[in-house]
Formats: sequence, structure tokens, C-alpha cells
Amino acid sequence: MSDRQVLLDVRGLTVTFGGLIAVDGLSFQVGKGEIVSLVGPNGAGKTTVFNLISGVLRATHGSARLLGQELIGLPVHRVTHRGVARTFQNNRVFPQLTVRENLLLGTHHWTRSGMLGSLVFWPRAIRAERRAQTEVDHAIELFRERLQPRLEDPAYSLSYANRRRLEIARALVAMPRLLLLDEPAAGMNPYERLELAGLIRAMRDRGLTILLIEHHMPLVMDISSRVIVMDHGIKITEGRPEEVHQDPRVVEAYLGRGVVVRR
Amino acid sequence: MTARTETIQGERRSALRQIWEAGPYAWNQALITPVFLVPFFLVAATVPLVTQYFVDNYGWTGGEFWVRIAATCAMYAALALALNLAVGYAGLLNLGFIAFFGIGSYTYALVASDQLHVHLALAPALLVVVLVTMFFALLVAAPSLRLRGDYLAIVTLAFGLIMRELTLDLDRPPVLVGHQFGPTGLNLTGGTEGVHLVDPLRLPDAFPLIHGAALQSRTYYWIFLGLTALFAYFLLRWRASRTGRAWMALREDEIAARVMGVNSYRYRLMAFTASAVMAGVVGMVDAAYIHNAFPGNYDIQQTVLVFIMVILGGLASIPGAIFGAVIVTVLPFILQPLVLYKYLIFAVILIALMIFRPQGLMGTVSMRPRRALGGTLELFTERVEPEEQEVGAEAASTAEVEAASGAIVAPPQRE
Repeated sequence: MSDRQVLLDVRGLTVTFGGLIAVDGLSFQVGKGEIVSLVGPNGAGKTTVFNLISGVLRATHGSARLLGQELIGLPVHRVTHRGVARTFQNNRVFPQLTVRENLLLGTHHWTRSGMLGSLVFWPRAIRAERRAQTEVDHAIELFRERLQPRLEDPAYSLSYANRRRLEIARALVAMPRLLLLDEPAAGMNPYERLELAGLIRAMRDRGLTILLIEHHMPLVMDISSRVIVMDHGIKITEGRPEEVHQDPRVVEAYLGRGVVVRR
Repeated sequence: MTARTETIQGERRSALRQIWEAGPYAWNQALITPVFLVPFFLVAATVPLVTQYFVDNYGWTGGEFWVRIAATCAMYAALALALNLAVGYAGLLNLGFIAFFGIGSYTYALVASDQLHVHLALAPALLVVVLVTMFFALLVAAPSLRLRGDYLAIVTLAFGLIMRELTLDLDRPPVLVGHQFGPTGLNLTGGTEGVHLVDPLRLPDAFPLIHGAALQSRTYYWIFLGLTALFAYFLLRWRASRTGRAWMALREDEIAARVMGVNSYRYRLMAFTASAVMAGVVGMVDAAYIHNAFPGNYDIQQTVLVFIMVILGGLASIPGAIFGAVIVTVLPFILQPLVLYKYLIFAVILIALMIFRPQGLMGTVSMRPRRALGGTLELFTERVEPEEQEVGAEAASTAEVEAASGAIVAPPQRE
């Protein structure tokens, strides 16, 4: 961690809903090229952290800087422009659009072509469209046999796992610096999870930094370079997967006080 | 899962059956290809010539009548496409839609009649109409698009009603808090009378078929048909472009679209304004066609009519909007002998369609009352069961093994 450049620097992130403090003074850093997992029991505030970083929710206090640039307070689409892409826990693909159109949406923020440009085949609009298509083809290579044959099908016809893949691919096409994955393995069977682990590593090898929320512990332990454990909006502990795994506070957060884990 | 049009093989009956079973999504995809659209518009353009042939050779007396109906069809088709941009593509429920058609009509009537003693040529008049409708669209949309969903419908509905009242009241200078705006005797809209003797479109003399015939119905039929073709082209191009995809993404899931970097406010404003300007241009041609701008033509009923066309044909479907416009325009004439019962029959057909095909004849996006909020409308997309999971139920036990062992196990063996 210390030898890496800090990509995301979150400090004192706090959000309250009425009297409820959902995230309370959360601070952590993500280094460039890391895979960091955010784990914790249900209701710990993990997804809220994603919503705060991506601008979907407004933070009460605190800051989140991406390479020194503040993200908190920006409108959602500006956060995307800064280089943050995310997926959603509840799978938000655009059901009526085809898989290809869904993926092309990912290119929206880095292509430039206006409403009138596409009508008159303005060269810039054509170039933008061609670049977008190229990027889609490039990204789809990671999902080849899963999404490739379905490119022209509407997204509502995809299976649950394929919708998750589509969402990840769409975020990937956005060419972010930081990718936020919210429970990517939910609803996947063990084989698909294995495939997903490979996929996340492949994305890291393409130069992405990944912040991951995941409930499936073996997957987290397998791919993460560091793990951050949250409960009740507070960071309990942070460290390498094997360290966190043995931390009694983590066991307590998940299972309650006084539980003995037999190994 | 998705039915595709297969290569037609074997006997004719099975081919028809295949087309039928392919379903509306595939029909729509097939009908928006240039292979179909270009011949369609070419054939449609010959309608006045064919009627003329029957009038000349067989003494048919209904020729002019049916050309006028065809012109009305083409006008509504263009309007339905314009509305489809706002409602079908961007999911904006613009219930004041016809007001923009009216603004286009009145603007043209004012700059091309004796009302203000201004007679502009075609190009400057078109420019004025575009700018004025754009101004009004931005005026309504800029504040109200910050609101969510149904509030836009309420604001635009109110706008439509206000504009109609204005056309009735602006036969005298407006008086606001005791102050009169404009000179006494200023008559902008002609009140209940409307604006009369509006100039016909002053087309260049170069077009061979319409040379010296600018007043004929068939000229306007061709202009309306041209607008329909142009708008269909716009909608098709937008569908395959960054802008159109952003609109549809906003319709499907606003949060996800914004996370993808779509500036929701800006794109909604663009869709709303473009749709309004398209309606304004159609309104301009209509004012020239019927030689007047009359408040009764811009009633809320007209908005409902255009909405029926769009919903009947299928939201976001281009052939659907054209088809809907033709049906809704022609059906009352066909049912004419039934006098009193024609609207009853029409209503029954519409209700039946909404029950059995809420997404319209060729659409996949549908509109239904939202149950939770007591009858307001929402756009929602058809729920279709997704394909089966790739690996079946035996995976569950493996998941347990995996959880217990604390590692990712090898892929399950399948028989």
C-alpha cells in the first residue's frame, strides 16, 4: 500500500438520514491497481458508501478525493467524468435497450457528439460512434462467450448473472480509473463466481482499480489485496485478507459476541 | 428468447405463421429498416396521383375528399412522431403537446397574414416559428424538468390550458395589475374568431409537380408526408446515436443513466424542446393549409388524440406512430354510416386494445396507471421472464460445500 500511488482518499465520510447515522466518519485509502473489498453485515452502510462516492447520495460531512480531486458535492454525471464507474446491487441495466446499446451508454461520458451532429453525419459524430463501438468490442472480449452472442438482444432477455456481467461490462466501457462493484457475485453459482474472480483480476491487469462490496467471503479472500470491514457505519478494521479473517472484532460483527469459531 | 424473423422457408402458410410468431418487437425492427421505409414513403407519395387517375378516367367524385383525409393522416403522423420523441424515447409525459402545435400555427399566422400586416417568405417564417416554439418549450421545460415524473405532466397540462385561454383573450392588449401592455386596439390572436386568411406556403416555383398548384390539398399532403419522412429519419438516426441512447436510458432508469454520465436535465430539455419544435413546424404548415389559426384546433382533445395514436401504435415505435395516426384519422370516416355509434365503437376498440396489448400494436414500452399513487401514469417497460440460469439447481449444494470449506471449489460436474 505504502509504495502505491493513492487513487481514492476518503476522509471522515459521514451521512445521516434524519437521526440515523448511516456512515460515520469513514476514512480509508485505495491505492492505484489495488482490489479492495468492503465487507460487513447487512445494513453496515457499504452500499451507502458507494452512493456517496458516486454522488447518488449527498454526504453530510467528509471528503472523497480521486487523485486529489474532490468528488463529494459533484452531480452524479460529473463524478463519472472524473473517472468513477459503478454497478448496482439491484442490477440496473436498461431493459429495453439491446446489450450493445447498454454497453454504448458506457461510452457516453467520453464521446462527444450532439443532437444535430448525428442527423447530418457530421464527421465528429461518426468518429465518436466508431470509437465507442471499438471500445465496446474491446471490452466485450472479457465476456466473450457470455455476452457476445447476445449483443443484439434486449437486456430484459438476459439471465440474472448475464445482467450482472452486462453491468460490469458497461462500467468497464466507461474507461474509469476506479470501478465500484456492488455485490457482483450475488445470484451467481460457484462456477460463475470462479469466472467472476478471473474477470476482476483481468480488469485489474488492464490497469483498473477496484473497490468491491461482496458478501461471499471466499471470493473476497481470494481476490482482494486489502479488506475493509464495516459495521454500523464505522470501519472496524482494515488489512490484508488473512489478517482480517482472524480478527475477533470481525467475527463478532458477523456472528455476535461470544461465538467460538471452530477451525 | 427474443424472436427473430427467420429466413422464410417452406410453404407460404408457415412463413406467415413465422412472421406472426416473431412478435411486435421483431415486426418493429423489420419495419424500421430502409428496405421497408423508403418504398413505403415512395408508395405513399403516389396516393394523390392514383386518386387523380380515378377522378380523370372514371369520374370518381371522392378524389379530393380522400386526398384531404390523406393530408390529415400525414399531418397527424408527423405530430405523432414528434410526440413519440418526448413520450416514447425520453419518457416525458407532455400533456400540453398540442399547445406547441398551436404556437407554431399562430406564429405563422401572425407573420404571414394581414393580422399584423406582415407577410414573410417561407424561410424567414420557418425560422421565426422554430425560434418562437423553442422559446416557449424552454420556458415551460426549464423550470419543470427539474421536477420528477408526474409533475411534468401536471405543469405541461396547465401550460396547454393557459395557452388556449391566451389565444381566446389576446384579441385585446393584455392588462396586468392595472397596466396595459401594448397599444389599445392591438389584436394578436383574433380571440374566438382566430386568425383568418393566412398565406399559403410560398414555395419556390422549381418543384415540377406542384408548380403553380400551391393551394391544392395534394401539395400539402406531400409536405406533410415529407415532414413525416424527415421526422422518421430523425428518430431513426437518434435511436442509433449517443443522444438517443441517452434519452432512452433516462426513460428506462434515470439513476443508472446518470451514473453513466448522462446529464439528465440537459438531455430531457433537449428531447422536450426538439419534440415541441417539430410540432411547431407541423402547426405552421397546418395553418397555411387551412388558411387560419383557430383556438378550437388546439384543444386538450387534440393532445389526447395524438396520445392515442402514439399509444395505439406503440410507444417509441416509428411505424407504430404512423400506423396509429392513419387508423385514428381514417376510422371515424369509415365508421361514418354508423353516425352516432362511431365513437362508441372506436372507444370499445381502444379499451380492448389497452387491455390485451397495453404496449400498443408495435411497441414494447407501455403506459399504465400507477397503482401506488392513485391513478397517475407511469411509463414502464415490459417484464419478460429472463432466460434460465446457465447452471441448474444442483449448484446449490456446491455452494454449501464451498461456504463450508471456505474456498472456491472446482466447477460443478454436469451429467
